[in-house]
Amino acid sequence: MNDISTWDIVRNLLDGALWTIGLSLTAFVLGGIAGLALLFARIAKNPIPRRLAQGYIEVFQGTPLLMQLFMIFFGSSLLGLEISPWIAAALGLTLFTSAYLGEIWRGCVESVPKGQWEASASLALTHFEQMRHVILPQALRIAIAPTVGFSVQVVKGTAVTSIIGFVELTKTGSMLANATFQPFMVFGCVALGYFALCYPLSAYSRYLERNIHGSRAH
Amino acid sequence: MNKRHFLRSLIATALLGTAGLSLHAHADALANAEKAGTIRIAVPQDFPPFGTVGPDLKPRGYDIDVANLIGRELKLKVEIIPVSSTNRIPYLTTGKADLVISSLGKNPDREKVIDFSVAYAPFFNGIFGPSDIAIKTAADTAGKTVGVTRGSVEDLEYSKIAPANATIKRFEDNNSTISAYLSGQVQLVATGNVVAAAVNERTKIRRLDTKFLIKNSPCYVGVNKGEAALLAKVNEVVGKLKKSGELNQVSQRWLQAPLPADL
Amino acid sequence: MAYTFDFASVLEYSDALLAGTVKTLALTAVGTVFGLGIGILGAVSRAWKLSPFDRIFAVYVELIRNTPFLVQLFFIFFGLPALGLQLNEWQAAILAMVINLGAYSTEIIRSGIEATPRGQIEAAESLAMTRSQVFRHVVLPPALLKVWPSICSQVVIVMLGSSVCSQIAAEELTFAANFIQSRNFRAFETYFVVTAMYFLLAIAVRQAMVQAGQRLIARRKK
Repeated sequence: MNDISTWDIVRNLLDGALWTIGLSLTAFVLGGIAGLALLFARIAKNPIPRRLAQGYIEVFQGTPLLMQLFMIFFGSSLLGLEISPWIAAALGLTLFTSAYLGEIWRGCVESVPKGQWEASASLALTHFEQMRHVILPQALRIAIAPTVGFSVQVVKGTAVTSIIGFVELTKTGSMLANATFQPFMVFGCVALGYFALCYPLSAYSRYLERNIHGSRAH
Repeated sequence: MNKRHFLRSLIATALLGTAGLSLHAHADALANAEKAGTIRIAVPQDFPPFGTVGPDLKPRGYDIDVANLIGRELKLKVEIIPVSSTNRIPYLTTGKADLVISSLGKNPDREKVIDFSVAYAPFFNGIFGPSDIAIKTAADTAGKTVGVTRGSVEDLEYSKIAPANATIKRFEDNNSTISAYLSGQVQLVATGNVVAAAVNERTKIRRLDTKFLIKNSPCYVGVNKGEAALLAKVNEVVGKLKKSGELNQVSQRWLQAPLPADL
Repeated sequence: MAYTFDFASVLEYSDALLAGTVKTLALTAVGTVFGLGIGILGAVSRAWKLSPFDRIFAVYVELIRNTPFLVQLFFIFFGLPALGLQLNEWQAAILAMVINLGAYSTEIIRSGIEATPRGQIEAAESLAMTRSQVFRHVVLPPALLKVWPSICSQVVIVMLGSSVCSQIAAEELTFAANFIQSRNFRAFETYFVVTAMYFLLAIAVRQAMVQAGQRLIARRKK
């Protein structure tokens, strides 16, 4: 009854990898948008959004992604919402991503020297204008490398969604390992797949980081 | 109002109060399914011969055939939802599926949470392992490492009779339980007789011999509490399939044996 | 049918929750100690370009940091027996924790070492200290102190990541959650309680790490 060939394994793993890529992109884009909102809340003058954003970040950085996914997946239907593993995975990873990106970006904004704020304030710019024209352009340059670096964590985080039944690369792998009884080969291929996705991102992030430091030294 | 109860309701209110959402997880599953034209059925994907995946990774097996037959009789499109044995009951109780056809055995704890149809498949659970370990009774499993899928009937039954110094390793799903056995991570497994037979068909190493059987625990369709209409309909359909001989064909196809007369 | 919450049915299993907490903390502690040990070795090999170890550590760091923890765990537990290397669920979980923290802390500590001014090392060498003495007394303490906040964060991340060890039947806190919900069928309540427990553990572990840093490194620096 073992009618699964090596080609079937590779073909199915490639299919699974497409879902991993799709989920990563979704979580990264949506998480980036939510992260930007968090960033603004986090550096607002009003303490209420600041505290709320801080609490949000602490909760999502202080609990396991797996638990967040379980809560969303099994909790949402108690609230009368029907969500599929795909929606739960996308939502869970988006929230997770936003918490980390919001915090990374805040660090970048704060690393812009104080003098820049003071100088731009003396030009009678509003808080928003200061951000838009002076602070963010500088923070953005600093932020690119750690942001690309964090994207690796997002791709790796998608593996955890296999546990709530979202069929991506890892889930495809464990299904195949059971159907073929070749766990060494299958999980070896799965690991290679993730490496192929993540390594270019890591390397690019390092390249960016070197470039920024290099140009700063001038 | 006692203190603990108060605290509980307080937490519950806090969780739900904000949006004022009413909690109707499942009003009338049959009516809803008929309105949608689709019935959502949770099936196993890692439990041969009841449910396993083919080269296209689509579930197939005894339970999937039964799910499709029930859908045909109800004149509804079937949406197959692959689940593991750990999360199959949460899928039902949290309204992610209308029916669970996932080699589900009956026990008093589960009957408190969900309702069961009439039986649709035979199942004997027991302890299985390689031929070189001599075991005849539960007492012989002393000092042995036994793998089992957490929350399955085998888990609950074997946990009751296992000697104190037997090590029970509970895995998330049947994939992991079987993989753990085949890779030698556990010495024995507690599972179903037909599952062991299906595994043996696919492996040459570490065949699963029957050591002893624990319990006759046939499989039932799981339905949420309070879904009398759906339950009655399912019972009617299963009865009809038994009479027409179609269920027997499913049994012949996947278990290579006719349906037991007493089921 | 309205859903009524039942948190008491979770608290009935407080023994399982406690046992799971202890094991999660133990996994984290062992992972941290050995992981940091590997991290220090890796960092010095990389920073001082000790051939061939710098290359070996470079490959190791890239392999581990670019693959998911869960996949490493599956590979170790289900895959390695095919090579004759049989590790039980705890050995597999600990190994995975150690190699993970080892890879991340190699990079973290390396950045600390590379930030140490060369002048300090030269000064120490002029005092006729051996290379290992220089490393132990002059390079490592300030490097660790400098990157200790990152190490604390990484330890918390690894502790939270250990929740997937439940998938290979290691009976840590998430395993306890899954076990309880397979017995009381109260998935949401169980996960809610356990998530809150993780949150408190994360705070506690971070505090403990900060304290440990002050005791172990800051004092020796004097």
